[in-house]
Amino acid sequence: MASKNRDWADDDEGDDVAVELPPPQTIQNKDGTKTTITYRYNENGQKVKTTRRIRLVTHREVVNPRVAERKTWKKFGLSEKDGAGPQMDTTSVGENIIFRLSTNWRKDTKEEAKDPNANAMKEKLKDKTVKCRICNGEHFTARCPYKDTMAPVGAEGGSADVAAGMGDEPAPNAAGAAGAGKKGSYVPPALRGDRGAAGGERMGGGKYGSERDDLATLRVTNVSEMAEEQELRDMFERFGRVTRVFLAKDRETGLAKGFAFISFADRSDAVKACNKMDGYGFKHLILRVEFAKKAA
Amino acid sequence: MRPILLSGHERALTQIKYNPDGDLLFSVSKDQQICVWYSHNGERLGTYKGHQGAIWTVDVDPTSTFIASGSADNTIRLWEIKTGRCLKTWDFPTAVKRVEFSEDGRQLLGVTEKRMGHLGTIVVLDVILEVDAEQSDERALTIVCDESKATVAGWSYLNKYIIAGHEDGSVSQYDAKTGELLDNVPVHELNMQVTDLQWSPDRTYFITASKDKTARLMAARDLEPLKTYVTDTPLNSACITPKKDYVILGGGQAAMDVTTTAARQGKFEARFYHKIFEDEIGRVRGHFGPLNTVAADPTGKGYASGGEDGYVRIHHFDKGYFDFKYEVERERERENRL
Repeated sequence: MASKNRDWADDDEGDDVAVELPPPQTIQNKDGTKTTITYRYNENGQKVKTTRRIRLVTHREVVNPRVAERKTWKKFGLSEKDGAGPQMDTTSVGENIIFRLSTNWRKDTKEEAKDPNANAMKEKLKDKTVKCRICNGEHFTARCPYKDTMAPVGAEGGSADVAAGMGDEPAPNAAGAAGAGKKGSYVPPALRGDRGAAGGERMGGGKYGSERDDLATLRVTNVSEMAEEQELRDMFERFGRVTRVFLAKDRETGLAKGFAFISFADRSDAVKACNKMDGYGFKHLILRVEFAKKAA
Repeated sequence: MRPILLSGHERALTQIKYNPDGDLLFSVSKDQQICVWYSHNGERLGTYKGHQGAIWTVDVDPTSTFIASGSADNTIRLWEIKTGRCLKTWDFPTAVKRVEFSEDGRQLLGVTEKRMGHLGTIVVLDVILEVDAEQSDERALTIVCDESKATVAGWSYLNKYIIAGHEDGSVSQYDAKTGELLDNVPVHELNMQVTDLQWSPDRTYFITASKDKTARLMAARDLEPLKTYVTDTPLNSACITPKKDYVILGGGQAAMDVTTTAARQGKFEARFYHKIFEDEIGRVRGHFGPLNTVAADPTGKGYASGGEDGYVRIHHFDKGYFDFKYEVERERERENRL
């Protein structure tokens, strides 16, 4: 408890040591403890008040007299010159081992071995099944073998689910193409209305979804020109599921403009990412990460 | 649980032993030193110098006055624990692989190796329990193992029998007075050597460990097999914990066999089995090589293990170790209380 915070530069030693210290105090507390207050000067000449609360507990232990006698024996052999107590060169303390006896320890250790993050994800997805929007197979839409040749099943009906959520990256494109009736052609925003309404609820955080969650969106600035969306996604995916990555690019040159938006499925992940990634060095630049402000 | 690491040896450990009060731990290794440690803090009390070869075995007498050690220099030596003085050297034609004091400490058995035309033997020596006494050179008894050499041996309760484990995986029972072979039981798989034999506190039953990946609990009186503990690795050592009904097994793929096996990850662990239910209930990792020897603290507070990596690790159990009970045990306790 330094009395004041002094700059080290104007510190000259032994300046005010001469000032008298208050005498140490001892107070007997009601609960059987004692409080002692002592004052001293530290090496910077600052006055330090130390308050100690002491509880005296008498712990009685019965020691086998033979064992006690052996503890007084003189060391011999290679340890002859060693001082009292364990020596550094022969004795060290190992890392803490968690040792729990259990009848099904085999199962327990297996679970522990896994990364807790992966576990949390697994928990979340436990009762969800993966279903492809194109062929209804048990895989992500992005992994579908027919994704280049077939339109999604019931794209208009909007029955496909994003159960597992992952791999919804190419989905908007596919859905958008279906909405326009022709694959790969541009659909002007004005004409996307019907599709937006149909697909809105099925893709809450979709790329063009109108109700994207600004609460879990981070604005990343000072991004290198050379950055790619995928790199950002990889970087931020560590903290949780990323639903959207938008990296502003120059139309002419194709180089990044220096800012990006990252949306997370979960706000807590976004908070984690914001804390961790702010100030992260990426391609010679220091990233600045903050929560995106709601678009006016 | 924070283990204490003892790095007093430069080569693989061969045996470790607690004294009966559990405050001293003796360790021997293939480097020619015997070390004694305080078990509570891992402080080294001293070393015993004199052997000219790898030391295979050590044992403490019941009064914690002497230790005996057997070595590849074909001798058994008797040492005074307190000073590190060598009191007596017995010479043999071959290496000594095992020594053990009888229950009263007046006799000492040694198991000698079968080599150079000499058959493996179990010799019994009389020991006078006085530091300054002149120890006799004479063998009180010599048992010749003509079928399969003995690898380990020990004294049963009241020094009635000598129980020996053999290279072929069998266990035999000898009369400790006459040296007569009373029984020989093939306990472990044929030609899977018995690597360790340790006693229950009252010496009425013992545990054997073998290269056939099992440990067995047997009665000393009639060699009746009581329990079997099956593992997935060759075992080098096994011990019975006092106070709690567990056994600790140590082993691991031997270094020379490592290349011939695929995944041997995680086998350098001390395994805890429930003595009665034969279930594996926990493991303690830490060694970088096979465990050559494990020993339980006679007070039940901890155990120590010595590995091929040259380290001894002393563990003091946490509260959870003492509290662990099977559901059936708890139930019975509840019933007893009512």
